[in-house]
Amino acid sequence: MSRVGEFEFLVLLAVLRQAEAPYANRVREDLEQNAGRRVTRGALYRTIDRLVEKGFLAWELQPSEVPERGGHPMRRLLVTEDGLETARETRAVLATFLDGLEPVLGEA
Amino acid sequence: MTPPPRGATRLVARAFRGDPAAAAILGDLNEDFVRVLESRGRTAARLWYWREALGLVSGRLFHGLIRSLRDAAALRPGPLAGDAAHAARMLRRSPGFALFVGAVIGLGVGAVTTVYSVLKPLALALPFEDAHQLVWISNEAPGDSSLSAVTQRTTNLVDFRARTRSFSGITGYDAFFADRAYILAGAGGPERLVGVEVAHDFLDVLGVRPLHGRGFTTEEGQRGGPAAVILSHRLWRDRFASDRAIVGRGVTLNGTPHTVVGVLPASFDFSSVFKPGVEVDVLLPFVVARDNAFQGNILALIGRLRPGVTPEAARAELTALIAALGEEDPERWGLGAELETLQEHLAGPFRGSLVLLAAAAGVLLLVVCVSVSGLMLARSPSRAREMAVRKALGAPRGRLMRQLVLETLGISLVGAAFGSLIARLATGLVRNAAMIHIPLMDSVRLDTSALLVAAGVAVLTGVVVGTIPALQVAEGGEAGVLQAASRGSSASRGARRLREGLVVAEVALACALLVVGGLLLASFRAVLDVDLGYEPEGTMAWRLQPDAEFGSPQERSAFFSDLAERVRRTPGIESAGLVDALPLGRNRAWPFRGVVGRSRQEDTDEEVFPHVIGPGYLRTMRIPLAAGRNISPADGEGSTPVVLLNQTGARRIFGGAEEALGRRLRFWGNWEWEVVGVARDVRHLSPETGSGIEVYFPHAQMPDFRTMELVVRSGLPAAQVVATVSGVLEEVDPGMPRREFWSLEATLRGAVSERPFALGILSAFGAAALLLAALGIYGVLAQTVAEREPEIGIRMALGASAPDIVRRVLGRMLLLTAGGIAAGWGLSLLFSDVLDSVLFGVAPIDPRAFLGTACVLLAVAALAAGLPAHRAVSTEASRVLNAG
Repeated sequence: MSRVGEFEFLVLLAVLRQAEAPYANRVREDLEQNAGRRVTRGALYRTIDRLVEKGFLAWELQPSEVPERGGHPMRRLLVTEDGLETARETRAVLATFLDGLEPVLGEA
Repeated sequence: MTPPPRGATRLVARAFRGDPAAAAILGDLNEDFVRVLESRGRTAARLWYWREALGLVSGRLFHGLIRSLRDAAALRPGPLAGDAAHAARMLRRSPGFALFVGAVIGLGVGAVTTVYSVLKPLALALPFEDAHQLVWISNEAPGDSSLSAVTQRTTNLVDFRARTRSFSGITGYDAFFADRAYILAGAGGPERLVGVEVAHDFLDVLGVRPLHGRGFTTEEGQRGGPAAVILSHRLWRDRFASDRAIVGRGVTLNGTPHTVVGVLPASFDFSSVFKPGVEVDVLLPFVVARDNAFQGNILALIGRLRPGVTPEAARAELTALIAALGEEDPERWGLGAELETLQEHLAGPFRGSLVLLAAAAGVLLLVVCVSVSGLMLARSPSRAREMAVRKALGAPRGRLMRQLVLETLGISLVGAAFGSLIARLATGLVRNAAMIHIPLMDSVRLDTSALLVAAGVAVLTGVVVGTIPALQVAEGGEAGVLQAASRGSSASRGARRLREGLVVAEVALACALLVVGGLLLASFRAVLDVDLGYEPEGTMAWRLQPDAEFGSPQERSAFFSDLAERVRRTPGIESAGLVDALPLGRNRAWPFRGVVGRSRQEDTDEEVFPHVIGPGYLRTMRIPLAAGRNISPADGEGSTPVVLLNQTGARRIFGGAEEALGRRLRFWGNWEWEVVGVARDVRHLSPETGSGIEVYFPHAQMPDFRTMELVVRSGLPAAQVVATVSGVLEEVDPGMPRREFWSLEATLRGAVSERPFALGILSAFGAAALLLAALGIYGVLAQTVAEREPEIGIRMALGASAPDIVRRVLGRMLLLTAGGIAAGWGLSLLFSDVLDSVLFGVAPIDPRAFLGTACVLLAVAALAAGLPAHRAVSTEASRVLNAG
């Protein structure tokens, strides 16, 4: 977990989960619905910026035809190779630490 | 479809300007807005959008600032010296700007520091050890400020001391000390001293250590104990030339030898704390014994709580004790105990004024902040260009931030220096203003804590306000700045609006200060215009304490009457009269035992204020009679005891003046006093307080008064009156002190001294705010005119007349000023509550103050706008167009 914090890790995973539509609003909905936590808009944008700075995330602007967006473009988020590598490392660390804890924590 | 609120989208767009994701962020917001709109309706959706936008923007600003500061801090300390040098170079490059901004900051710093210093001794830190443990124990609930209500009987002190556990000590002093006089004999002629009798442990409980010698011992506090005296620092310095050897030596007071046992330190001035306006020269031991209770409620009690005991706990213990004492002796008179902290007791009567001063200083500081923002903003386009260039050339953002912060810090230090200087002058004025009868004003000093406050306020103001250009650096977007610079457009419409907004804010704040100042002024005048019931103009008073011995009280009374008669017969003196207590002097109350022939139930159980007067008193004071007759020389020892009532007394007891005549009253013992006249009401306690029941006794029928006051009315110049009366006094009794005289007008000024004090400080604040607002107006207008010179040139070339141009320039400014005035009126309404407790005879919404302020502000705005307007008119079309 040394290279990403917990929330950054969740954001990375959430971006990966939105294969079809990896946009900030979808990521936020996913986090709010499935991670059970309230995510403010500013916190999410700041985390995205931080992940971009670390080189784990990239994005590109895409023109949007969705009328609700009032003509504004969308930001398509993309996890970079470095980002994927970090996600794998973090998963491995978690797995190592969770291994053998079933008697205490119960089955996942 | 309903679009999201425009202001909010603009706010977001502006905050994220330069961020490549800005458009997408707006899109995200828009998308969610539509969802909320469909599910919760229009109003809820707009509210939701505003909340999201504000959260987003404030978060971005906050994190941007934190990041920049972190970046700046993360730099190695190496370049710090270099950055400081750079900052110093930048300041040197525009020393005028730095000094000017420093001076403006100094105004705010000076105001806050002065008010802090004034409030500190009274409201923040009484000058006693562990002052929070000190409490005032009065007889009745706080609120009634008459001396009898805040004092106690000696028996109560004895019982409180013996039967409570909350206090490490309870002590007291004779609250009516001003009635007693001490004559110091010896070299330099007899001198009348003001002495206070205090319980022997008085200094110990307060935690005051004598400068030389010691406090009183238990034996000295007992009846028949050794006669001891403690000198005030002032008396020791002035009369005994700061001679340390005086301790242990004897002095003669009222003909009795006393041993000087101690000298008070300069830091403890009894009168400054407990009785401002009276100079106390000596402390003497008060005999705390049960048989001293006949004197009534005369002791002011001060207790020191044991460590850890709260005032509430002590109050509860006292209440229980009072109940127990009442049960033991149902006849016991004057039982009661109310407790407040000493600080509450001393500062309480001035709370309104103090809160007002603190608020006013805060408002002035805001004006300063707004003003400095305006100055920084006016300069920011050029600074922004400079920063953008340096950043484009590769300077790290943190580095730029640090240089800017250091630069602002430099300006702030100039501000702190200016502010401390102003505060030093102001505290000096306060300390030396002898007329201010507010406790502890002569302890007002610019101490280390005040200097720290000054530095803190200066740095806070400078850094908070001065970091505006730094924020622009943090925001990035140098490309935009450089583009704008290359196009040569110096200020966008948005920037001008912002500057105009700042001017409106300045005018509003200045307006609020001026309105409050105007109200205080009107109130002060109302107090001076109050019908006091007597005429202080042209009168002087002497305190008479004969040195001569008299065989009986009647003899002494005859001596006083003869003296008054002699003064009256002197050429140039209109009239002279005797009284034991002049208005605005001391305060006391006697019990009223009812009207003869009426049952007690019918009667008011109010206390009465007694005066003992000679026949010439009412005439000299010009107090008219409402009914009946004045007392006369015939009302003597052998004749029927008579009194005069005041109108309030006649109305409350009998329902009217005529009804009172001929009725008889009881006060104490079995004596009956016939009402022979009703005098008009006099404002005795203060010009702001109405009268209670007051009774005038003839001195000849109540001769047991050793000290009287002689009041003299004359059209002669004061110096001549003094010489004349002194001559008579010396002739009658050469040993009697003659130097204690004063004018009744001076007493009146002292009694209302809190008003000009608050008024003076507030006027200074208002004037400073007005000046800053004028500067702001001038600055904005000058810049606008400079920016619009080409436009004005073209207009004039196309035939616009000079008055047209002036109207355009001034019109906008007057509109802004009017907006500011309206906002300022609203703001001053916020002060209504605290003003209500301070104002007298004026409503907090007095239209004169509001309209007068508006006139002043409009006039100042027109003046400040005049110069730029003139410059606009003298624009030469050809020059401007050529330049363009």
